[in-house]
Amino acid sequence: MIGQIVKKQALLLLRNPIQILLLVGLPIILIAILSTALGGMMMSGESPNIHVKLAFVEHGDEEAEIQRFLGELEDEGMPREAIEEMETGIEQMAPVSILKESVLGSEEVREFVELHEVEASELTEIWDDNSYTAVVEVPENFTYESLEYLVLNKNSQPVLEVSQNDDHQIGPMIINDILIQFQEQLTLGAFLEKNGIEQDVIQLDEGMFSGETLTLDQKNPIGSQEYYAVGMTVMNVLFIASTIGTIAFMEKKIHVFDRIILGNVSRWEYFIGVLLSGTLFSFIHLLIVYGFSWIVYGVRWPDLISFFTVTASLAIAVGGIAVLLTAISYRFNSEMITNFFAGIIVTLMAVLGGSFFPIGDSSAFIRALGNLTPNGAGMSSYLMILRGDGIAEISHHILFLILFAIASIVIAAISFPKRGASV
Amino acid sequence: MLELVDLSKKFKQNDAVKNLNMFIEKGEIIGLLGPNGAGKSTAISMLSSLIEPTKGDVRFRNKSMIKHPAPLRNVIGVVPQEIALYEDLTAEENMQFFGKIYRLRGIQLKKKIDEVLEQIGLTDRRKDIVKTFSGGMKRRLNIGVAMLHDPEIIIMDEPTVGIDPQSRNYILETVKRLNKEKQMTVLYTSHYMEEVEFLCDRIYIMDKGNLIASGTKDEIKRILSAEKTISIQADRWNDEFIEELKQNPTVNRVTVGEKEITIIIPREVNMFAAIIKMAENADVELNSVDVQTPTLEDVFLHLTGRALRD
Ligand SMILES: Nc1ncnc2c1ncn2[C@@H]1O[C@H](COP(=O)(O)OP(=O)(O)O)[C@@H](O)[C@H]1O
Ligand SMILES: [Mg+2]
Repeated sequence: MIGQIVKKQALLLLRNPIQILLLVGLPIILIAILSTALGGMMMSGESPNIHVKLAFVEHGDEEAEIQRFLGELEDEGMPREAIEEMETGIEQMAPVSILKESVLGSEEVREFVELHEVEASELTEIWDDNSYTAVVEVPENFTYESLEYLVLNKNSQPVLEVSQNDDHQIGPMIINDILIQFQEQLTLGAFLEKNGIEQDVIQLDEGMFSGETLTLDQKNPIGSQEYYAVGMTVMNVLFIASTIGTIAFMEKKIHVFDRIILGNVSRWEYFIGVLLSGTLFSFIHLLIVYGFSWIVYGVRWPDLISFFTVTASLAIAVGGIAVLLTAISYRFNSEMITNFFAGIIVTLMAVLGGSFFPIGDSSAFIRALGNLTPNGAGMSSYLMILRGDGIAEISHHILFLILFAIASIVIAAISFPKRGASV
Repeated sequence: MLELVDLSKKFKQNDAVKNLNMFIEKGEIIGLLGPNGAGKSTAISMLSSLIEPTKGDVRFRNKSMIKHPAPLRNVIGVVPQEIALYEDLTAEENMQFFGKIYRLRGIQLKKKIDEVLEQIGLTDRRKDIVKTFSGGMKRRLNIGVAMLHDPEIIIMDEPTVGIDPQSRNYILETVKRLNKEKQMTVLYTSHYMEEVEFLCDRIYIMDKGNLIASGTKDEIKRILSAEKTISIQADRWNDEFIEELKQNPTVNRVTVGEKEITIIIPREVNMFAAIIKMAENADVELNSVDVQTPTLEDVFLHLTGRALRD
């Protein structure tokens, strides 16, 4: 019987193409709009919200490494004049100085990146300081190896070590994008230099926030498209709850519910039918939108087991909301709660959960609050999975989602009117 | 077979139904007549176990159905006053869903759907979305859905509200036929007295939550047994004639219309000759003089002082 109710619910949804388009199409469009809009916002540096505190540690000594490199050229028997000429031009190839002064110190970047040069000995302190978004460490011999790679094509390009604060969401993304950009530009600059083409200080180009991601040496950075793919999906799946709630209340309003009851179907079978519809359709919704994100925006999931676990838990939580909305609207014989949820609560929860911008980065309290919304907990888990975390690291979010679902179902069951309580 | 005992329902301060007593025997068509707000739908909701009565009992085969209504639910088909159908689904999909709610499956369900569609005359529209149906077709499907599980008793709450006369006749004929051919017991609720008069063997009349009359059609009309109504028709009147009617001691009431005068006189009096004489004297050319059988409308008017339809 429950299966019949779910099946019919699905049929009703399918008969409503506009509804489906809104549920599935809207997040896909929003992902595109927001991920480009966010890129633009950060490029013009207009957002005071985005503030990245960056610690910068040099384990080596750039000047000494340059001298060592030049000395080596001499040992290899390079002509004296050539070396002298290189000495004057090497300024433009000193990678660490370029990064510090021309890139991180440039006017655009300075507006949102606060650069702190620190000693290696201070590192432990900084790890504990949650206000830092990321730590960039220049390993020993980085300059030397970079020059070897750039000038002599020896070895491979050395990498910077970047450690990110996982509690911050958008900051690490910015740092990663900047560094990727930097390494690409450095290679390009060296290429131009070698070929005798003059070039000015390295410029950050328009494509900086293309959302493309590369793996640096640590966890995966999150691109803006990934961020918004997750943000919009977890927000939009909440509308499944209100859609199911609306259908269920319509069944009461047009007395179809009465017919179901008269068929000796218990109201609890109906109740479970609503819960299962909400859960199942949410699950399918999440898979469809993430499927699109994968195909269209290239959002890939490194750990599918974690992904499905979070998706299932979030779907159950949304199913819980669906049955809660249904029960309350039945109790008060009014659709108001469902409309209020779809019109206002979803937006509030989306903002709090970080769907539009990483609101949690600004305060630990808001972050904690955001993680107490099902969409926020889902979003945090999804982002952690994208960064490379495993199921153990997200287990507390999953537990919250399940508890949230149970609480919703229990409250719904208590408020669902018994016979005769309402007509 | 089915019995309501002192059934009452109070919504806050509002007595929707007060001490309703009623019985229904197998094979009968029972009419429940009353103006809007009389309490008919509330009575039906209690009878069909959708709401719990404030007081009283619903008894089916001598067992109370208030706490455990399952046996009653299995044998009744309820046609709600509202169109309780999924507008976005087809006629057939609606029937499939509700049939499955009644635990019909497979071939049995399919055969039943075919049969009911035939009965309600919607076979050729089975694949159409209900939204596209006319009011009359929706009403017919609304009835059909309640018949899928072969109920012994069908309870219809104003099944003809807001539809064209043709669909209405179709529904009335269908109800009559089902009763005749399948001995289906029917409780038919309406505020149209002519429907109830056409269909029903026994009638209950409700007003403002109270049962104000009950019995067979003849029994109820005998409430008006002391008087009868005579309709006098002519193209024009004169004052002399009207005055003479009013002065006549046996005439209780005179109502003058443009081409018709109705008078109410004691049942046992015969006035034909007298009226014709009066007309001759006053030089009025009569078209006809008829004795009218009282209608349920007249009964209602007599009992409440109000017309059935406001
Ligand atoms: N759910 C309800 N809550 C409060 N009052 C109601 C409810 N249902 C019906 N009533 C009231 O009970 C009375 C009888 O209504 P109803 O049974 O629908 O009459 P009918 O079907 O004869 O038109 C009306 O006064 C109506 O306003
Ligand atoms: Mg009614």
